Amino acid sequence: MGKQKKTPEQQQYEQLQQKHETKRPIFKNCLKAFFVGGVICTIGQAISYFYIYFFNFTEQTAGNPTVATMIFIAMLLTGFGVYDRIGQFAGAGSAVPITGFGNAVISAAIEHRTEGFVLGVGGNMFKLAGSVILFGVFAAFVVALIKTLLIMWGVI
Amino acid sequence: MKNIQKILYVFIILCLVVMAVGCTPRNQTNQDYLVLMKTTNPAPKAIASDSKEANIIKDIEKDIESHNDLYDVAVIKGKEHILVVYKVKHMKRFHMKKIEKEVNEKLEKKYPDENFIVSSDYKIFLETVRLEEKMKDPNYSEKEADKELERIIKLKKELT
Repeated sequence: MGKQKKTPEQQQYEQLQQKHETKRPIFKNCLKAFFVGGVICTIGQAISYFYIYFFNFTEQTAGNPTVATMIFIAMLLTGFGVYDRIGQFAGAGSAVPITGFGNAVISAAIEHRTEGFVLGVGGNMFKLAGSVILFGVFAAFVVALIKTLLIMWGVI
Repeated sequence: MKNIQKILYVFIILCLVVMAVGCTPRNQTNQDYLVLMKTTNPAPKAIASDSKEANIIKDIEKDIESHNDLYDVAVIKGKEHILVVYKVKHMKRFHMKKIEKEVNEKLEKKYPDENFIVSSDYKIFLETVRLEEKMKDPNYSEKEADKELERIIKLKKELT
């Protein structure tokens, strides 16, 4: 499989297909993603300042409650069906920030609700988000290991 | 069905507004709302009023302000510690750790007997300005001010 020579008919068909294919508006999509992602991050920054002003969080520690709040808001919006629209419009702009994670969890939970609570919701909730958690934890472990070693050797 | 959704939206927005309003402390001075947005340049203060100490902290503030990468310096001297807080210029925030180290070394070298706590955190800055505002009140005792300063220092050391 893989790199097989294409027959003349296949090549002809490919050319035909390329002629009729609708072009993706890549630049426009990037622009949309940039602005919507930026708006989401601005909201996050505002929430972070809110925690700094009114609670006992410093700049260093305010990140944790901010992330939790953003995920919570994204979960509510997913439940009301608003986040799907945002995702359709902005694509990666709504998936890359932490809100995309909340969306992935809740949309999977809603989708499998009909299969029951244990095998449906419980078993499928982390279908998409599970890989984020797994690789996130693993990457954090590797980075921490490297940092510990560097400190032990006295490089940093 | 549509109506229920609308009512739910309004309810949630109301809840958020009520929460935001409820969290606002009532005895707030007007000035500190803009502390993080603009340059305030608070005057250095010593909790124990002593003319010799006032001169020392004025020198300290001048020394730190001469650093090119930062602006807006606040200094408070307590019984044990001197709290030094500053804001780093936006494009220099990548070098925050380096700047903190430089400031620390400079201070330790020049004033070896003092005990410095150096921070560039906005929250610490905000709390410092709030404390200075409170200290303007003559009824606010030295002991209370020192306790508040220790609380800020504890907050600075917190990492999680």
